Amino acid sequence: MAADPKMKFLVVDDFSTMRRIVRNLLKELGFTNVDEAEDGAIALQKLQGGGFEFVVTDWNMPNMDGLTLLQTIRATPNLKHLPVLMITAEAKKENIIAAAQAGASGYIVKPFTAGTLSEKLNKIFEKMGQA
Amino acid sequence: MSDFGGMEDLLQDFLQEAHDLLSDVDNKLVDLEKMPDDRGLLNDIFRGFHTVKGGAGFLNATELVTLCHLTENLFDRLRNGELELTPELMDVIMAATKGVRDMFGELGQMVQPQPADPGVIAALQGALNGELPGVASPAVVEQQPAVEASPVSGMVSDEPDWAALHAAVTGQQSVAQGELITKAETEAAVAPIQATIAATAVTTGAGQSAPSPFGRRATDRPGGQPSAARRSEERGRENTIRVDTSRLDQVLNLSGEIGLTKNRLTSLRADILAGKNDSETLHALDQAVSQLDLLVSDLQNSVMKTRMQPIGRLFQKYPRIARDLARQLGKDVELVLAGEETEVDKTMIEDLADPLIHLIRNAVDHGVEMPEERQAAGKPQKSLVRLEARQEGDHIVLIIADDGKGMSAERIRAKAVEKGLISEEEANTLDERQSLNLIFLPGFSTKSQISDVSGRGVGMDVVKTNIQKLNGSIEIRSEPGKGSVFIISLPLTLAILPVLLVLLGDQPFALPLSLVREILPIEQQRIQEVGGKETLVVRGEVLPVISLARLLGWPLERPPEYGVFMQTAERSFILGVDSFAGRDDAVIKSLEDFRPRGVAGVTTLSNGQIVLILDMKELLADLGQHISIGSSVKALDFA
Repeated sequence: MAADPKMKFLVVDDFSTMRRIVRNLLKELGFTNVDEAEDGAIALQKLQGGGFEFVVTDWNMPNMDGLTLLQTIRATPNLKHLPVLMITAEAKKENIIAAAQAGASGYIVKPFTAGTLSEKLNKIFEKMGQA
Repeated sequence: MSDFGGMEDLLQDFLQEAHDLLSDVDNKLVDLEKMPDDRGLLNDIFRGFHTVKGGAGFLNATELVTLCHLTENLFDRLRNGELELTPELMDVIMAATKGVRDMFGELGQMVQPQPADPGVIAALQGALNGELPGVASPAVVEQQPAVEASPVSGMVSDEPDWAALHAAVTGQQSVAQGELITKAETEAAVAPIQATIAATAVTTGAGQSAPSPFGRRATDRPGGQPSAARRSEERGRENTIRVDTSRLDQVLNLSGEIGLTKNRLTSLRADILAGKNDSETLHALDQAVSQLDLLVSDLQNSVMKTRMQPIGRLFQKYPRIARDLARQLGKDVELVLAGEETEVDKTMIEDLADPLIHLIRNAVDHGVEMPEERQAAGKPQKSLVRLEARQEGDHIVLIIADDGKGMSAERIRAKAVEKGLISEEEANTLDERQSLNLIFLPGFSTKSQISDVSGRGVGMDVVKTNIQKLNGSIEIRSEPGKGSVFIISLPLTLAILPVLLVLLGDQPFALPLSLVREILPIEQQRIQEVGGKETLVVRGEVLPVISLARLLGWPLERPPEYGVFMQTAERSFILGVDSFAGRDDAVIKSLEDFRPRGVAGVTTLSNGQIVLILDMKELLADLGQHISIGSSVKALDFA
């Protein structure tokens, strides 16, 4: 599946600077249809509203963290197909395993460049194409 | 010079958000001391450092990342119950937080932060390794090898191979199915990853020991803690502002309406120029002009509001300062905040930071007693210092109150005499309020009184001067044994200055109304010559009379008919003028490039006339010899 530049992203992070960074990086890659959410709970509300095709979420957030968000997405019939890219500041193996187990589509460690993000996204698109 | 080419915007955003985050962390740390086991607090603080770390990584601020990472790990252990929060550990955490704040300061100057104090880093690592007394059981620490203490990877990060891991854990299943895997599969998958993690750790370690690429600030390196602290305050000025979008919408809306009204006026002008001046047209004109009037003043208000910020942003950092100082002095003090939502002009918030810190330190240092003393006096051991803000009409009132020992007018007088600030006779004429105001005299707070913690040798006189620069005033109330209260009163905004318009011949001049105490007629026969200088006795006070003409270097054509009783920080006097033209709210236009001495700025009157706003302080400085020094005592009487 080729990446559609109109694909709608939801960027979830409690730190607005970080949302801006991710948004800018996505823009560099040609994805301009981006919405933001401050935590997992708000993200879920927005996702339920529909229209989103990709979720990029931070791990550590108040109210609902990224892992719980991921688990909830996977347990929700109308959302479970959504690709979810986890962003964290840790390269800890426990975290990676937990993310993989919960069904994350990808995992990216801060800080990263547009190049790294592009690589991760493409891998996910490839997989989605195969599925 | 900037280390952040192309990232300045991002840096500004980061700093603003990270500052807020850190203030929040500071407050939570103070709370944590009271509730060391509160998981919620530990979690929040952990997340604070974690978030700052994440953002700092994108700015390549390696040193900041390292410091946050270690602190974050410490909180991770604390929240998991693997470490116990001891007072010693708390001190390490506080030092680390201060280190983070100092680094924000460096980032604010567009330079990459210097490495954190090695002592702090060592203490953090020590704590993580269970080396602080009574911190952790060694068994726990062993489970967390060196990877824990190593900082996260830099920009060239290559994290573990997700794809390989993912394939292993999910068994090539499509991601979307999110199938859970067995423990055995997980374990198998971990093995290859561990190698990658170790490699990452090594790479990062090497990066750490390499010399910092940002070493060019050798001369700029903070010499000691006090100067570092001062620098961080000086550069704390932010040149961006966060504005509620609804406020901006209002501005937009009003400018739109003004545009419409302008169109209406344009069309009316065309009508009138074409000779149409019936009563209907004139009525429409009248209406349009009144509407414009209203809209413009609404717009002014709305624009002013965009500059207003809740003072809570300033207050936030004080509980921490009070706590640190109290701990250093062995006192038990709680700083209670109130009215944090009160909105104050942004510039004013920045200029208030120093005076408020000083007053809070003063309250903790000199105001409240040691716990034993309090107990002996039958007071609760814990002392309360209250910092409150509220709006009263067109003024902002700030109150710093303590429940300490209060100030004795008697002792203050004695001290002022001892220091040679006033004479014995002068001291005897002072009432309670005047005596308390003596502490604002330059030279009153001495070295011996200002302990090394209570603030950089700045006296109360500087606090007062700073408040007056903001066109505000400060007042003291004190009751021996009960405590002291400092009350600061400030105008809502600095953009509009209430002025008194005085006339010299036909020429109007504007005087800041905040300096004016009263207006009185000058009867020539009541003027007395004292030591060759003209004076006037007003309710027992002997005040020098200075004519405005003389201050400005104009010829004195006739004796002034009216006097304006004025008070500046140093002295009170009567300014002789010919007449008055009323009062006005002046919008100050500064004369940056060609400002003559003694002129603060200009403003325009409703009739279009340009009026100079006088800077009394400068004018008086030029004429210092005309004013008797003896008047300084009387000058204390205001506030």
